[in-house]
Amino acid sequence: MSFRIGADIGGTFTDLVIVEDGGTKFEIAKVLTTPDQPDEAVLQGVRHVLEKVAVSGDAVAQVIHGTTLFTNAIIERKGARTALVTTKGFRDAIEIAREHRYDMYDLRMQRPLPLAPRHLRFEVDERVLADGSVRKALDESEVRALAAVLAATDIEAVAVCLLHAYANDAHERATGEILRELLPDVAITLSSELVPELREYERTSTTLVNVYVKGIAEQYLSRLRGRLTDESEIAGNLFVMQSNGGVCEVETATRFPARLIESGPAAGALAAASYGKLLGHRNLLSFDMGGTTAKACLIVDGEPLVAPDFEVDRQYQFKKGSGFPVKVPVIEMIEIGTGGGSLAHVDALARLQVGPGSAGSNPGPASYGLGGTSPTVTDADLALGYLDPGFFLGGAMTLDMDAAHEAVERNVAKPLDMERTAAAWGIHQLANESMASAARMHAIERGKDIEKFPVFAFGGAGPVHAFGVARILGCPQVIYPLNAGVMSAIGFLTAPLSFDFVRTLQAPLEDLDWSQAMAAIAKMEDDGRRILSRTVAADSITFARFADMRYRKQGYEIRVPVPAGVLDKSSHAELRDNFEQTYTEIYGHIVPSTPIDVVSWRIVASGPKPDLDVGDHQAGQSTDAATALKGERPIYLPSIGDFADVPVFDRYRLGARATLQGPAVIEERESTVVINGPAAIEVDRWGNLLADLTPAE
Amino acid sequence: MDQVTLDILWNRLIATVNEQAAALMRSSFTSIVREAGDLSAGVFDQRGRMIAQAVTGTPGHINSMATGMIHFLETFPIETLSPGDVLFTNDPWKTASQLNDITVATPVFRDGKVIAFFANCCHALDIGGRGLSADSRSVFEEGLFIPIMKLYDRGQPQQIVLDMIAANVRTPEEVLGDIHSQVVGNDVGARQLQKFMDEFALADIETLSDEIIKRSETAMRTRIRELADGEHVYALTIDGFDEPIELKARLIISGDELTVDFDGSSGASPLGINVCLNYTRAYTTYGVKCAISPDVPNNEGSFRPVKVVAPEGSLLNATYPSAVGGRHLVGHFLPSAVMGALAEALPANVIAPGFDGLWDTHIAGRARQSGEHFSYTWFSAGGAGAMDGRDGLSATAYPSGIAGVPVEVMENIAPIVVHCRTLRNGSGGPGAFRGGLGQDMDFEVMTDEPFLFSGLYERTRHAAPGLAGGGPGKVGRLSASPETDLQPKVTRTLPPDTVVRLELPGGGGYGSPLERDPAMVLADVRDEYISSAQARDVYGVIVDEATWTVDEHATTERRAQLGDR
Repeated sequence: MSFRIGADIGGTFTDLVIVEDGGTKFEIAKVLTTPDQPDEAVLQGVRHVLEKVAVSGDAVAQVIHGTTLFTNAIIERKGARTALVTTKGFRDAIEIAREHRYDMYDLRMQRPLPLAPRHLRFEVDERVLADGSVRKALDESEVRALAAVLAATDIEAVAVCLLHAYANDAHERATGEILRELLPDVAITLSSELVPELREYERTSTTLVNVYVKGIAEQYLSRLRGRLTDESEIAGNLFVMQSNGGVCEVETATRFPARLIESGPAAGALAAASYGKLLGHRNLLSFDMGGTTAKACLIVDGEPLVAPDFEVDRQYQFKKGSGFPVKVPVIEMIEIGTGGGSLAHVDALARLQVGPGSAGSNPGPASYGLGGTSPTVTDADLALGYLDPGFFLGGAMTLDMDAAHEAVERNVAKPLDMERTAAAWGIHQLANESMASAARMHAIERGKDIEKFPVFAFGGAGPVHAFGVARILGCPQVIYPLNAGVMSAIGFLTAPLSFDFVRTLQAPLEDLDWSQAMAAIAKMEDDGRRILSRTVAADSITFARFADMRYRKQGYEIRVPVPAGVLDKSSHAELRDNFEQTYTEIYGHIVPSTPIDVVSWRIVASGPKPDLDVGDHQAGQSTDAATALKGERPIYLPSIGDFADVPVFDRYRLGARATLQGPAVIEERESTVVINGPAAIEVDRWGNLLADLTPAE
Repeated sequence: MDQVTLDILWNRLIATVNEQAAALMRSSFTSIVREAGDLSAGVFDQRGRMIAQAVTGTPGHINSMATGMIHFLETFPIETLSPGDVLFTNDPWKTASQLNDITVATPVFRDGKVIAFFANCCHALDIGGRGLSADSRSVFEEGLFIPIMKLYDRGQPQQIVLDMIAANVRTPEEVLGDIHSQVVGNDVGARQLQKFMDEFALADIETLSDEIIKRSETAMRTRIRELADGEHVYALTIDGFDEPIELKARLIISGDELTVDFDGSSGASPLGINVCLNYTRAYTTYGVKCAISPDVPNNEGSFRPVKVVAPEGSLLNATYPSAVGGRHLVGHFLPSAVMGALAEALPANVIAPGFDGLWDTHIAGRARQSGEHFSYTWFSAGGAGAMDGRDGLSATAYPSGIAGVPVEVMENIAPIVVHCRTLRNGSGGPGAFRGGLGQDMDFEVMTDEPFLFSGLYERTRHAAPGLAGGGPGKVGRLSASPETDLQPKVTRTLPPDTVVRLELPGGGGYGSPLERDPAMVLADVRDEYISSAQARDVYGVIVDEATWTVDEHATTERRAQLGDR
């Protein structure tokens, strides 16, 4: 009997999930996050879930962990005092960035200040060229002198990013060795060991982000591991969730914390993909709506889409270009500023606007009674009857209906001279509209037909809004998973051990040095095997190969699958076909008679992918939905433009195969499923609610 | 129609044009369209009034399209159109002031009636002629001129027209491919529009467009009315080609209307830097919008209360057949001219002039090892102007929305070695808020033979002035080692091993430098954005570099001394 535990630290709650491998046991726990010492909540939660399945720590083979700790350290600028060492003439590459404004009209727009200020950016007189040749050799005595200068300051971390180090890392390695020797207590990251890829600004930014939180990662993860062993007596290993959808060991996580930054949302999407597999949907729209934002991710052919980079700490309304680029693979997500706490207001053009401003959790929505007076999406949902004021968070919190009414009346209904209910519906509907628009845009950009995608809804506000969003998008079905409140922690348990490698070797496809490419691929596969076989059997490791390719002179590459086995001249045609096929998927056509370049080779080394078994649902519960009926309450139905009584069900008493009809409300602890129109709803054997949207009358 | 339904429809309309733009970008053949979003897309009502526009692109495309649809309707009155028709043109005087910019417009039919148009404008990779340059003496030299005509007639592509284009451009597959993408983009927009009209049971969008236009116009008029009536004149001088160019803006605020009159600006140029009035209007209204109404969506209503005039036949209102291919070399300075004029009326919302005109470098020759011919162009940005409460952005494009190319990419694409690319210390105009810094860029071309070098550089003689007591940014400078007599805008052949040095201009400062927070001056000295001598002599702040503190007593004295001068 062997168990695995998923542990996800969020802003408010720390979520724990335990599963029995090959068995039937599945339990969850939620404890309050302990911000000053985050490992404390994990330990508490572990104790809870162990009690629930009645085993001791030595039955646990793996703990898989994810946390927003590192992201928060960056956003709050609580990382290390960080210096940058770079090539002479380039200390401002990080500040010049892309010479671009991310907002066309806002004259006050600003970019985030580099994590290393200008007076902590140092240059060494060396130069490698684009082909990897050395134009000016590194003078080690210069680096030693620089180390002395650094030692005299109080810096805690150094990022080393030299020009073209992706093509030849000798100077970076030599610099790193000297700095590590002379500055033993300083965290150091070399760009070539983290992200050996073209583009100095993005590479420098990634390296800085990594080293900025490296010290925090080292301290935190080693303490957590120690306590899990000593106090919880867990025999198995600790693994950490990465943003690419895989997990890694603590050693790797500690070296490369930049890979962990978007791990929470990534795990949510991964869980969606696993449920999709369970339910037989290869394509899904994963829809996660929380307090401040909504995130959508397309699951295509059973896998979440993966992007080569992302941005952390966006300064400005989730706008692309306003954060620090981090060039590590990440599950691709669109995030918009629409959540339960999003504020509604009337703008200068007398338009009703929802978000991106948020009341957060403090003061929060007006109905929280914590001092907020502006109407939010949650207040509108309450005013429409979609939330039960006495059963918020399973009754842990009471909502103030009068305060919600008052806020909607004062800030929206009155200025627009409309009925309060119509104003509340406007807020709810506009929130749905912006989420639907963002999802549709994303699908169009990726060339996918979203009308065929079922919606997988989770997050605190997701189940309240998913039905409306699906109706706008014309999606056929909404899936409301059981345990939607711990979806990221569940996602951790479905993630394989994995590690990404990349090597930039730019060359024309027509004239490729195949033996050089093959050597690079073999080296990355060997490295992957070495790292992963510390944890899983060597013969269970699989490798996926990709090439970043582009038409010559295009600014960006696309990720193209590369065949397994030995590559040589004869692989040329297949690689070209793969490129053209991928290009067509993304852009709808190929570009005729234009030469193709390979820019980088990528390897994803993965261990076996764990199957998700969430356990059969409530065997013995009645298939008759009537037994789960809690009562009726009036909710707003858009079809009649008025309130009408609808049945309210207790989600936990709905047995598998029970069926019900929309409109209806199904309440659970962390959220409420709102079906405010016609739908055929069924409970499946795992306890998920499947709502089929009846075509509009 | 109730308030909320209207807001939802308005949002849906904006989403529709964003989807139109996304579909176009996704299928475009041209990197600049696909990656930089250098295009515009919008929807128009039956009367040719623009009611929503995609949030993308650069001001020149966006704002000139708004006025373009009227011309289509004059040539093809609405009752003469049939389902499946698609219209297009590149007439500089009716659309974006350059033959490379092609506008495609598609009527949308519902129940046999035209209810809307979708249109978009994209930069074609090539349009024949001399290739994109400012060297032409008339529009005839600049390429193929496509008057407003049908691209599709009742669903049938006009093969004669397509063949004619293919025969006149250097890259026919890409150019025709992009025109096809433009048609596809409009179709995606039209399909989404039909869908939501079904959902909300709308027969047309005229009520909606009336309301959108009315509300935007009202918002715009309200903003203008908040400004005191009056006239303000501001003149901006830039290098120009043979002689300096003066851009003189007279801003007239009268009730809820605002007029910008460029009378008194320079006359027409014999070279291709003349600007058609619609492009003048595009960059002028862009400046106005940034200052007074960044939150008001772009549509017919938001443009109505703003009038832009310039004497016919002058530089800023070029007449056919003047050469206009390099109109951006002048047009990019118009927002600063407008802001300067607005500064008295609206001091808190304007930025000082900056480098404004992108530095466009072109090199060509034969590479050292491979012996292959190369030809490579890139853009660089200097410092933007400061505003009340904000330092100017350093090395950042404005008003153009382009992004730069990383050095590692440049060195991979072209036989070039960049020796340095750093912020240009001390180049930002002094002020209570400092102008943005320009950048220094030294490069060498890896060749054994002489190579061709040309740089369309501005503000090498005439600095970006400050506002409200702020000082000018440093002028730009072009030099080479070994020393060579280089002139901006003059093509030269340079010997191998020449290192060319570009020093890009800084932006103007805002407010008196004696009022800059000493702590910010200290931080600037520590980060070497300014020198301690500049701190002392211009800002009147005495910095102790041993302890990194401000000597407050000495600073007070120094500032009093400087203030007396």
